[in-house]
Amino acid sequence: MEGLFRDSRIAEIAGAAGQLLRYDPLGKLLLFPVRHHSPVCAFQLRRAVEEFSPTVILIEGPENANELIPVLTDEQTELPAAIYYYYKDKKKLVSEDGEDYKCYYPFLLSSPEYNAIAEGAKRGIPARFIDLPYCEILINTAQSKGLRKAADKHSYTDDSRLVRSKFYSRLCEKTGMRSFEEFWEKYFEIEGLKLTPGEFCENMHTYCVLTRNDEDPAELEADGTLARERHMALRIKEALDSGEKVLVVTGGLHSLGLARLLHEGKFKAEKLHRIPADQQGCFPTAYSYQAADALHGYASGMMCPGFYDGITTRLEKGDDPGNVYNDACLELLIRTARESSKKDIPVSIADITSAQSVMTGLAALRNVSQTGLAEVMDGVTSAFIKGEKNLSSSMPLAIMQRIATGEGVGRIGDKSHVPPLVADFEKQCESFRLKYQIGVPMESDVALFGGGKGLALSRFFHRMEYLKTGFCKLAKGPDLHHGRDRSRVHELWTYRRTPNVDAALIDRTTDGFTIEEACTTAATRVLADRRRCADGAHTAINCFLMGIALDKNQLALLEDAVTNDGDFFSVGEGLRCFGRLYDLRKLYEFEDSSSLEYMNRCMAKLISSLPAMANTPSDKADEVVSILKIMFSLTGGVLAMWRDSLEDALLTMAGAKDKEPTVYGAVMGLLYAIEAERRTDAENAMRGYLSGSSEVRKQGADYLRGLFSTAGDIVLADDSFLHLTDSLLTGFGTEDFMEILPSMRLAFSYFTPSEIQEIAGVAAALHGAKEKDVLDGDMIDEGLYDFGRKLDSLITAQLEGGEQF
Amino acid sequence: MEQNFIKPPVEVRYADQLRALEENDTGRKPENWRLSPKAVRTFILGGKAGDMDIPRKFYGNDALVERCIITLAGSRGLMLVGEPGTAKTMLSELLSAACCGVSTNTVQGTAGTTEDMIKYSWNYALLLSKGPCREALVPSPLLIGMEKGVFARFEEITRTPAEIQDSLISVMSDQILNIPELGDEGLVLAKPGFNIIGTANTRDKGVNEMSGALKRRFNFETVEPIADVRLEKEIIIREAENMAKAGHIDCPVDTDVAELLAVTYHELREGKTAEGTIVEKPAAVMSTAEAVSVFYQTISHSWYYGDGRADLRVLTQNLLGAVCKENKDDLEKLKAYFRTSVNEKAKRNGGAWKAYSETAALLR
Repeated sequence: MEGLFRDSRIAEIAGAAGQLLRYDPLGKLLLFPVRHHSPVCAFQLRRAVEEFSPTVILIEGPENANELIPVLTDEQTELPAAIYYYYKDKKKLVSEDGEDYKCYYPFLLSSPEYNAIAEGAKRGIPARFIDLPYCEILINTAQSKGLRKAADKHSYTDDSRLVRSKFYSRLCEKTGMRSFEEFWEKYFEIEGLKLTPGEFCENMHTYCVLTRNDEDPAELEADGTLARERHMALRIKEALDSGEKVLVVTGGLHSLGLARLLHEGKFKAEKLHRIPADQQGCFPTAYSYQAADALHGYASGMMCPGFYDGITTRLEKGDDPGNVYNDACLELLIRTARESSKKDIPVSIADITSAQSVMTGLAALRNVSQTGLAEVMDGVTSAFIKGEKNLSSSMPLAIMQRIATGEGVGRIGDKSHVPPLVADFEKQCESFRLKYQIGVPMESDVALFGGGKGLALSRFFHRMEYLKTGFCKLAKGPDLHHGRDRSRVHELWTYRRTPNVDAALIDRTTDGFTIEEACTTAATRVLADRRRCADGAHTAINCFLMGIALDKNQLALLEDAVTNDGDFFSVGEGLRCFGRLYDLRKLYEFEDSSSLEYMNRCMAKLISSLPAMANTPSDKADEVVSILKIMFSLTGGVLAMWRDSLEDALLTMAGAKDKEPTVYGAVMGLLYAIEAERRTDAENAMRGYLSGSSEVRKQGADYLRGLFSTAGDIVLADDSFLHLTDSLLTGFGTEDFMEILPSMRLAFSYFTPSEIQEIAGVAAALHGAKEKDVLDGDMIDEGLYDFGRKLDSLITAQLEGGEQF
Repeated sequence: MEQNFIKPPVEVRYADQLRALEENDTGRKPENWRLSPKAVRTFILGGKAGDMDIPRKFYGNDALVERCIITLAGSRGLMLVGEPGTAKTMLSELLSAACCGVSTNTVQGTAGTTEDMIKYSWNYALLLSKGPCREALVPSPLLIGMEKGVFARFEEITRTPAEIQDSLISVMSDQILNIPELGDEGLVLAKPGFNIIGTANTRDKGVNEMSGALKRRFNFETVEPIADVRLEKEIIIREAENMAKAGHIDCPVDTDVAELLAVTYHELREGKTAEGTIVEKPAAVMSTAEAVSVFYQTISHSWYYGDGRADLRVLTQNLLGAVCKENKDDLEKLKAYFRTSVNEKAKRNGGAWKAYSETAALLR
C-alpha cells in the first residue's frame, strides 16, 4: 500500500487497547472492521471466517431485529433487501415533540454484514446483532445529530465519517485523489484484494484509527456513537464470558472504541426503556439499488452498488481477484456503449477501444493494478463525449452511472413478516377482487353511485393515491379539486402493483398500521404544516374523496387555518371547495356538517375584506370576479342570510374612489342582478368611461368584460348597452381597437351562441345592415384574395425598406 | 535566452525542469517520447524530480490532464475545447514540450487557412528550377510531426473552414500523407510519437462546426474555467508577477487588488455572488486570462504614470474596457454588479472593497 499506512502513530493512539485490534486466528476475539457495502470487506471477511472459525458472529445492527436475521438468508429472499425500523415517540423519550422516527438498514450482496450472516448460516454459526435497539439509539442521540438529522429518510449504515474526516483530506492532498470514492477504490477495493485477511484488517484498522483520532469525543457522544459502543462492548463481553470464540463485524470507526472499552473492562450497561410493542418495531422489506446508492439514496454506503455487487458475484463465482475489476469495468464500458447507441448516441467499436486504452493507461499512470470505476468514468469522458462537455453531450456518463447504480429491486422470501400496511393493502385488494399480483397494468371502471362497493373502491383508490404509492392513477372521473367533470358518475382507474408500491407503503408505517390510519395521519400532517385556508379546504376534499371523516384534531386545525388566514384569494378558494363538499355530501354518502360552518366563516371573512378589493391589481381582477360570483351564487341559496351584507359590501366597492375596471363592472353587474333598477347606474358608469381620455376609454372594454361576466342579460334586456358598446368600439382608431380586442372577445365569451347571434343582429341594424348580411357575406374569388394577399405583403416589404418593385 | 524574448517557448522556459525530469525518469516511455507519462504529469501538475521541486503549471482538473497524456500516447488525437481564456493553448504547449521536447510545431487556424498550410507547399523558385523534388517541398508542421515523430499542434481548429479541417482525416486515419508530385518517394509514413493536439473555442464568433468524421478521430477534453476563487487569485498574482518581471516592472503586486479582480471575474462568470445574490452574466468572456491582462495593465499604469501602487480607479477603467467590448448591455450588467455585490462587500468588509465601490462612477 505504498507505505501510506506504515505509521507508528497507530500504536501511540491505540495504546494497550491496540492489542485487541491484532488479527490473530488463534485468539478468542477478532474485531473485523468493515465499510458498509464494500466488496473487498465482504471478500476478506468470508476468508476471515474460514481462518478464524468463530463460534458466534456478532454484527453491528439494532438488536431488536435479531429474529429477522433468518429472513435475509431465506432461499427465496433476493437482495437488495433492508430491515425497516420505526419508533413512535409517544412517551416523549427522544424529545418533547413526540415525533415518529424510521430508518432502513440495507443489505446488498456486497454488504459485509450480509456476508457475515450468510457465512454463519452456511457454517451453522449463530449470528446476532449487538447494537442498541433503534429507539434507544434515538434516545441517546442529540437533536440534529446521527439518526436524528433532518432528512426525509435515514440509513442505519451511515458512514459519512469515513468520507469527511480530516485524515482523509490530508490523504487526498498527498495522493492527488479527486474524491474519497476514488481513494477508497484504489487503495482498498482493488489493492485490498491482493492482501491476506490479516493484512487487510491491519490496513483497515490503520485508516480507521487515524480517522477516529480526529473525531471530537463530545460529537461522538452527541450522535449516540459512544452509547452504542458501550452496548456493543457489553454484548461482546457477555459472549466472551460465556466461552465463545467471537467474530465482531462493525463499521471500522467503532473498532478502536470497542477495543478500548473491552480492554478497560469497566463500562456501565446502557439503560433500556420499556417501549410498548405498538410503538416500535421492525420488519424486512425489499430494497432497490437506487435507494442504496450514496448518490441517490440516503447519503451512506458506496456509490454505484450495482457495479460493486457485480464484483462480489464474480468473486463468489471464483473469478481471479487480480483481474476481476478489469473484467467488470470492460463489461460496464460495453454496456454503456450499447445503451448509448440505443439512445442514438453514436459509439463505435473504435470509441470503445479508445476508451479501454485510456482506462488501462490511466490505471498504469495512477499506479493502480486494475481499472476501476474512476477509470471507466474517465474513459467514457474521453472517448464517448464528442465536442464540448455539457448536459446533453454528457449523456453517456449518465448512462454509465445508471448502469453502475443498478436497477434491480429485491424480494423478501419469508412471508411471515409482512409489513402491516402491505398486509392491509393486500387484504383490501382481495376484498375488492383487484388483480394486484400480476404486475401488469390493469383498469377498473368504478360506478360511483350505483350502490354496492363502487364508492368504497373509489375511496380505496383515492387513499392509495393520497399516500403517493404509485399504485393507481385516475384516468377519467369527476375532479372535485378543480370543479371539472362533476357530472361523471364513473371513475376509470388504472392500477399496477410494483415493488415501489410496497416500498412506499412501508415508508408510511409510522403513519399507521392500516391504510385508513396512514391517510388520516398524513392528512393531519398536511393540515398542521400548511396553515392556509385553501390548503385546508383541498385537504378536506381529499378526505371527502377518501371517505375519511375529519376527527376533532383535524377539525381544530382546519378551523385554525380558516380563522387565521388573511389572504382573500385563499379564503375564496376555501369557500369554493367547501361549497362543493356541501353540494355533494349526500351524493357521496358523506354526512359531514362541518363544511357549512366553514362556508359561513369564509363568507364572513370575504365580505369584510371585499371593499379593499375594489382596486385590486389587474392581474388578480379575474380571480376577484370569480370569487364575487361564487359569493353571489351561494348567497342566493344556502348562505342567503349573507345576501344583505354582500350587497352592502358591493355598494361600498362601487363607491370607492379608485376601482379596477373589470372588478367594477362585475360589481355593477351583481348590484343590477340584486336590484334591476340599478341598470341606470351601470349605464352611467359606462358613459363615464366613454367620456374619458383614450386611456380611460380603453378601460371601458374591461368594465364591459366584468359587467357581462356577472350580468350578461343587461345587454339583452334592451339595446341601450349595445349603443354604448357601439360608441366605445367606433370611437377607437385601429391601433387602440387592436389593443382592446382581447378584452372585448373575452367579454362576449360569456354569451351563448344564440345570444351572440341576437346581439349581432341588433349591432348590424345600428349600422344599417341586416343580420343576414353579417352572417352571410358574399363569396370572395380565391384568385382575387390571393392577389390581394401578395399585394399586401409587397407593400409591407417596401414600407419596411426591403424588397423593391 | 529567456531574457531576450517576450515569450520563450515552454521547452526553453522550463528547460532545467525538463532536464531534471528526464534524468530522474524511470517510468516507461511511449516510443519517441522525451518523458514517461508519469514524468509528464509531474511536469504539468507539479511534484519532485530528484531534488528539484517542479511547480504546478496547470490549475484545475488533474484527471483531465491525465486523460490528455494517455490519449496522446494512444492512436487518437486530442482536442481541447472550452471557453476562451481557459488555458487550452498553454496546456497544449506544456504537453507538447514535455512529451516531444518541442511546442512550436504549430498550425494556427484562421478563416484563411488553406490545405497547403496543413499538408505541404512548394518553394516555387526551386520547383521551377529543379522540378518537384524533396528539396523544393516546404513541409507543414503536420508533415514535420509525421517525419520526426513529434506532436503537431493545431490552434483554433474551428476557425478553419470545415472542408480544410477535413484534410486531417486521412492523415489521422492512416497515419500516411501522400505527396503525388514526388512519385514513389511521395509516401510519408508517420513515425511513432506523432500525434495532433487541437484547440477550439466553443463560444467565439466565426467558429466552424467540425465534421462527425473528424470528431471521431479525436478524444475531446473540455477545459473549464477555474472554479475556486482563491486559486484564481493566486494565478492572477503569479501570472501578473511573471509579466511584470518580463516587462522590467519592479513593483510589488497588491494582493488585495488581485482579490477584488478575482472575485469580480469569478462572480460575473458564475452569475452569482458569494452572498448568494444572482447577477447577470456579461456577454463578454470573463476568463482568468482576461483578469490577468486587466491586472497587468493596472500595474503597468501605476508603474509608468503613478506611484507604483495599484490605483483602483485605473483598475475599474481597465475592467470597463475589458468587459464592455461588444455588447452595450454589458455596461449595465457591470453597473448592476457594483450596485449589488461590490456595495454589499464594501459595507461588510470596508477597506479595499469600499475604495473599489467608490470607483463605480467611472462606469459610463
